[in-house]
Amino acid sequence: MPLYREGAIVPVANDGLAALPLAEWLQAPTQAVALANTDQLDLLKTHLGRLKLIVLHFPKYTDGRAYSQARLLRGRLGYRGELRAIGQVLRDQLPFLLRCGFDSFESDQPGFGPALARARTLFSVVYQGAEDDRAPAWLLRLRRRDARAAEQIGPLAAE
Amino acid sequence: MPDTHFYRYDDFDRTLLAERVEQFRDQVRRRLSGELTEEQFKPLRLTNGLYLQLHAYMLRIAIPYGTLSTRQLRKLAEIARKYDRGYGHFTTRQNLQLNWIKLEDAPDAVAALAEVDMHAIQTSGNVIRNTTADHFAGAAADEIEDPRIWCEIIRQWSTLHPEFSFLPRKFKIAVTGSPNDRAAVRVHDVGLRLWRNPEGQVGFEVIVGGGLGRTPIIGKTLRAFLPKDELLAYLESVLRVYNRYGRRDNIYKARIKILVHEIGVEKMREEVEAEFASTKDSALRLDPRTIEAIAGQFAAPPLPHRPATVGAVEALKIEDRVFALWLKSNTAPHRMAGYRIVTASLKPAGAPPGDASSAQMEGVADIADAYSWGEVRVSHEQNLVLPHVAVEDLPAVYAALGRLGFAEANVGKITDIIACPGLDYCALANARSIPVAQRISNHFANLARQHDIGDLKVKISGCINACGHHHVGHIGILGVDKNGVELYQISLGGDVDFGHTALGEIIGPAVGADEIVEAVDALVATYLERRGEGERFVDTYRRIGAEPFKERVYAAV
Amino acid sequence: MAKNLSGDLTVASANRLSDGVVVFLDDSGHWTPKLERAALARDKRAGEILLERAKAEAFSVVDPFLVSVSEDDDGTLEPLSLREKIRVGGLTFDAIAAEAVRYA
Repeated sequence: MPLYREGAIVPVANDGLAALPLAEWLQAPTQAVALANTDQLDLLKTHLGRLKLIVLHFPKYTDGRAYSQARLLRGRLGYRGELRAIGQVLRDQLPFLLRCGFDSFESDQPGFGPALARARTLFSVVYQGAEDDRAPAWLLRLRRRDARAAEQIGPLAAE
Repeated sequence: MPDTHFYRYDDFDRTLLAERVEQFRDQVRRRLSGELTEEQFKPLRLTNGLYLQLHAYMLRIAIPYGTLSTRQLRKLAEIARKYDRGYGHFTTRQNLQLNWIKLEDAPDAVAALAEVDMHAIQTSGNVIRNTTADHFAGAAADEIEDPRIWCEIIRQWSTLHPEFSFLPRKFKIAVTGSPNDRAAVRVHDVGLRLWRNPEGQVGFEVIVGGGLGRTPIIGKTLRAFLPKDELLAYLESVLRVYNRYGRRDNIYKARIKILVHEIGVEKMREEVEAEFASTKDSALRLDPRTIEAIAGQFAAPPLPHRPATVGAVEALKIEDRVFALWLKSNTAPHRMAGYRIVTASLKPAGAPPGDASSAQMEGVADIADAYSWGEVRVSHEQNLVLPHVAVEDLPAVYAALGRLGFAEANVGKITDIIACPGLDYCALANARSIPVAQRISNHFANLARQHDIGDLKVKISGCINACGHHHVGHIGILGVDKNGVELYQISLGGDVDFGHTALGEIIGPAVGADEIVEAVDALVATYLERRGEGERFVDTYRRIGAEPFKERVYAAV
Repeated sequence: MAKNLSGDLTVASANRLSDGVVVFLDDSGHWTPKLERAALARDKRAGEILLERAKAEAFSVVDPFLVSVSEDDDGTLEPLSLREKIRVGGLTFDAIAAEAVRYA
């Protein structure tokens, strides 16, 4: 199935890192592991530094368990390698997938590449923080208030 | 046009809304061209509020915390005229449903909604739905704190939440700021009750796993007291546990109430608190300035002092007995003496409950502009509310509502029926509910009789999904299908009042469509004969049990 | 008038994709809102074939399925189930009109 990464509209070559299912990987940890969406993430902790690729699974695109796994891997366990979505991966989920920290995708849906190129700009405003580095609206509002307050104090402080 | 006294969209909110409209427009285009299959499109359409029903698409428009400005209400009237058949139905979750929408018009309809800061985002689908509140919020005499502040905070956090857009099933949250729960928090996936602890701090009781439908369950307390600024961190923890562990193998067992039932509330609490230990001090902790900025927008309008007792009103009470009844049933105490909260009854005798034409919506907007600070609320009981009406203005409001057919003095009475759309509209239904409601309503139309019967909540659902909330009706009626024939199962004693939350008890075999009115009549007759001093129907039932009622019903039918 | 209520008679129905209107597959493979123009299958096998045909023509509709109907001596078709009767016939009560200020 075609593999996509950001920065390229056409599919990229699959780099051939064979991701082992978790049970096998625990026996002999390599650089790549594939998790079922019911797997416990704590088990990865000890060898997390070794990992270059974690593959998460969407058995149906309506099964959203891997979004939580992604966020915990990025945000809680601090994983910085490649995070891939496989299974039933469709372009309309891309804004969510990107926000949860996925950076590569296996999909055979037509138009996936161009959709990926546009996905980060579909929404210029987000309401909540996630695993991308977008500032949520509540934070931008506070910054704006502080900036306005500073503008008012500024001229006075200069005196 | 009066200023609004609830959350005002800023450029961030409006940009997000506009971008969502464009995303949806593109998705509809791709569906109509065949680029997207129905299977791929369905969740996208649902999370934009569009259902396919029996005859047409239905658009479910969100009315956050049931609060509308008159400008918004007028726009709804216009959209109903332009894109639908000129009427809408107010629902038990404070939304508005338009029943005859075309898919090809839906992007324009939601673009029109966006013009007045409204939307249909996440009103359907396996996502966090519209968070509902007490329809008397900000006005009720018994309020501890306005729950709508928290509904708005939850609305923003839950909108297009990237982690929780593909949950096992829908997720409904309700918030009450009063000890008298008018938001039914104990029958929601998460219910939040604001209360003041002995130290004087206001925080949330967090209730989880309530719900109606196939397996009605009353929610359990997950956390007795949660500091307000920890709300989002806690909710994120609950949702994460649900997203990860809720069942995905069977749609009838996929709600959080099933998870809580299967693992037990102690285990649920353990899981949530373990997750919360990490989220508590994250960026999810609400900045006090953020809370303040939102709370400030819900400050009450600057209501001038008006007299609590007005000669003209007292005189009219004596002259016009119906006005006196209307005052009793359709108005409620306001925080400020000199004002009342007025309910416009959308249950005129014989009418489909909860429906309003475009003309009626505009009429209510006119009244709200003149007499209620430009604000209207939608209640869970499918009525509209004018939250701040001066006592002096009650006769004028009564007359104006009367001209719209919305002044039936029946709020809380037997003809103030809650009914789901039922088999007339809904693809999920087994039986019709609206014609049953109409017949009961006509049968008990006599006002003096209704007031004698007193408070009595009749709730009708056309199928086990219980959108009519029949489980929590004093008299609950559930439509079933037996060999192609519509039958109606009766239950008694359901309630959502705090301290009395209870699920109704089925009294016996289902009765036919031509017997249901007689059955209800028999129930009422039993009550009238057996009631004690000051007892409502449900009180008598609690005292004497189902037997006497059952006997009378099955003798009659 | 004798009605054929055997349950063997079926038509193929769906909702039109663009506007949700209830439609039926006619003999030429087009979708029509008129039940009287629906292609009629007279037995189970014919029904299966009809449904296959409906699914093949499903580009402009959502989820085709078979509806059991009865047929009068004069050929008038009517759905057997209440649900389908309502689906074809519309609401069983009068909804309020757009400009009405009172329910009739």
